[in-house]
Amino acid sequence: MNNTVLELKNISYKYKNDLILNKINIKINSGEKIALLGKSGSGKTTLISVLNGTIKPTQGEVKLFNKSFEELDRKQKSKITTIWQDLRLIEDLSAEQNVNCGLLAENNFYFAFKNLLNISSFKKAHKYMQLCKLHNSVYDKKIRKLSGGQKQRVAIARSLIQGSNILLADEPFNNLDPKLITTIKNLMLESVDKDNTKKSPKTALVALHRLDLLNDFDKVIGIRDGKIFFNIKRNNLKKIHLEKIY
Amino acid sequence: MNKLKLNFTSLSFLPILVCIPLGYQLINNIHFGGFKLFQEFLISAFNPKIDNEIIITVIKRLNETILIGFFSWLVSIIFGAIFGIISSNFFYKIFNIPNFFCRIIRFFLTIIRSIHEVVWGILLMQIYGINFSIGIIAICIPYIAVNSKVFAEQLETIDYKSFESINQINAAKFSSLLTLIWNPIINTFKNFGLYRLECSIRSTVILGLFGIGGIGTSIFLSFQTLNFRELWTYLWSLAILIILSGLIFKKIKFNTTNKILSIFFIAVFFITILFSFSYFLYFIFNNIFNNNFENTNSVSSLFKSSSDLGLFDFLKLILETIILSLLSTGIAISLPPLVIGIFNNNTSKIFIKIFSFLLRLIPTPVILLTLLTFNNPSVSLAALTLGLHNAGITSKLLFTNLDRQDKRNYIAMKSLGISKKTSWLLGLFSQQAKSYLAYCAYRSDIIIRETAIVGVIGSVGLGWQLQESLSSFAWQEVTIVLIAYSSIAIVGELINGKIKNSLT
Ligand SMILES: Nc1ncnc2c1ncn2[C@@H]1O[C@H](COP(=O)(O)OP(=O)(O)O)[C@@H](O)[C@H]1O
Ligand SMILES: [Mg+2]
Repeated sequence: MNNTVLELKNISYKYKNDLILNKINIKINSGEKIALLGKSGSGKTTLISVLNGTIKPTQGEVKLFNKSFEELDRKQKSKITTIWQDLRLIEDLSAEQNVNCGLLAENNFYFAFKNLLNISSFKKAHKYMQLCKLHNSVYDKKIRKLSGGQKQRVAIARSLIQGSNILLADEPFNNLDPKLITTIKNLMLESVDKDNTKKSPKTALVALHRLDLLNDFDKVIGIRDGKIFFNIKRNNLKKIHLEKIY
Repeated sequence: MNKLKLNFTSLSFLPILVCIPLGYQLINNIHFGGFKLFQEFLISAFNPKIDNEIIITVIKRLNETILIGFFSWLVSIIFGAIFGIISSNFFYKIFNIPNFFCRIIRFFLTIIRSIHEVVWGILLMQIYGINFSIGIIAICIPYIAVNSKVFAEQLETIDYKSFESINQINAAKFSSLLTLIWNPIINTFKNFGLYRLECSIRSTVILGLFGIGGIGTSIFLSFQTLNFRELWTYLWSLAILIILSGLIFKKIKFNTTNKILSIFFIAVFFITILFSFSYFLYFIFNNIFNNNFENTNSVSSLFKSSSDLGLFDFLKLILETIILSLLSTGIAISLPPLVIGIFNNNTSKIFIKIFSFLLRLIPTPVILLTLLTFNNPSVSLAALTLGLHNAGITSKLLFTNLDRQDKRNYIAMKSLGISKKTSWLLGLFSQQAKSYLAYCAYRSDIIIRETAIVGVIGSVGLGWQLQESLSSFAWQEVTIVLIAYSSIAIVGELINGKIKNSLT
């Protein structure tokens, strides 16, 4: 039995007159780790936005746990977390407040309120920020005052704290030092133990550029001009594949 | 020779041409009967009356003004924020409600806002009689609508992408909403709060002139009895109040990381909402249901076509109101840069600042009454009054922005031997002109509404007719005048909105 968690069926996305995604079919099975390759402008970000339900495709179906987004409740939808290429943090809030935003789904309104007033607990947020190697002088700084690499790690911490077992990440290693990349990558692909009970395998789709980072992935998908050119096991990746998309 | 080019700088000066028809009418209307009074008025500024009795009165009256001003500010800023939220596109996106409702709410707020608080005040006073809470209600009604526009505009600046990302976290809708709007709301409060407090104190004073109580009533009474020394005591104490409230407001740091302060603000927030609601209910039950509406007849009679107001007279009043707005706007736009540019040295600057402070401080009706001592009532006189008062406000903004600006260009031009005035014009003002004009477009909205106040006193335009119709309980006429007023204000707001958009 293959348990597909996320599936794109014949997806096309048109913006004005441009066909940005062209008849895309992808099946993502539970626990699979997929690298998405493609040069800039090939449609990676758009594909990820379709996968997490932010963009409605012009044509085709997106299925999460075999249901369309409209059929799912909030709890089920929050099984997906996204690290955006442009981060999408709230610039006027502090780093720790932004990370705490990742906990909004599992908490009530009162928590959101306390977070803004800075009187909520930041213990969990700090733990994740530490894992992302953020120094504690960064914790209460506003996002607009942080460097590019620090912002990137805040966005990663916000995503990881959600404890979701499906991760979509759009070029998450931008702005990071080479030393940090391995740590962060392991952290991102690591299984989730949400309640310290049992670890559930993490399913991940990560858009990236660097071929030297591919070794932890099971599959590689190549995209060019909104079309999928290959969708293969990493071990089968050959130079000829890369020539098609770059 | 360069030809005159229509750029933003020249556009800022061009409206001064309104002075030609204005001056012509003013000169024709001059009379010297009250010149001594005017002189006395000016001299008394340096010799206000100070004794025990008047100090006690001042304190009592100021307390009333503070009470009305502060509560109407508090209520209007809190409800302004709430209405701002429910009239912003964001709210409807988050809750997936059709945007149609947003437009309906905005439309109602625009109508409410188009009528000046003085008009609301005299309307409510006519119906319910004079009392304190009428003052607060009269200010709150248009202020809530004005504030809600300011808040809604700030909320539209929220980045759509951060909305998408919070949405993707799949938090409860109210949590997402709160997290997204938090900073725009707090920042709007920080940036506009003080200004709105000042506005509501001024409005309280003006309503006071119409009898609602507080220092305004004392100002009016002392003017009526020509007791100028007393008048200046009141005016100066008002000045102290406005300056002090500014200083206090700036001292308070709205530090949202301070727990006790945050809890205090939240408490004030909820208590105000609760109190306003219960008071509103009390007011409705006490006044509307117990009030005998003999005077107001029934609602249907409001729309009966019979009216003493002839069509021609009515059109004339509308035209007068429009001309009044245009003339005053012209003065408010062009006078400040002209005066600041011509008298460009440090001593003059101080004098201009003091003078513009006085123009802001003295309520427009008092300015108008003073000018009436040597000029007969006319559209031009009312326009001059309104124009000068608003020039006091635009010049404050211009000064602040000029002081803040990078002066390198100006200094460089001066060192090249270019005259001081030309350097000021090309090196300093030209860079401000665009944003200055944008602000003036916004100011013009307010001027249109304020024509009501000078209209009532200076017997011009629709304001005058409103007063007349109200005192004879001619409710059809009142309704027609109000509709005309709010149509002019709404059209004006639409035009100014277009101008503002093209400038920013
Ligand atoms: N908001 C948008 N408006 C118009 N075109 C867009 C927008 N977003 C993306 N595109 C276009 O869609 C294509 C794919 O972009 P994107 O998904 O961002 O690619 P990638 O992430 O691989 O760089 C590009 O040609 C880009 O110009
Ligand atoms: Mg991209």
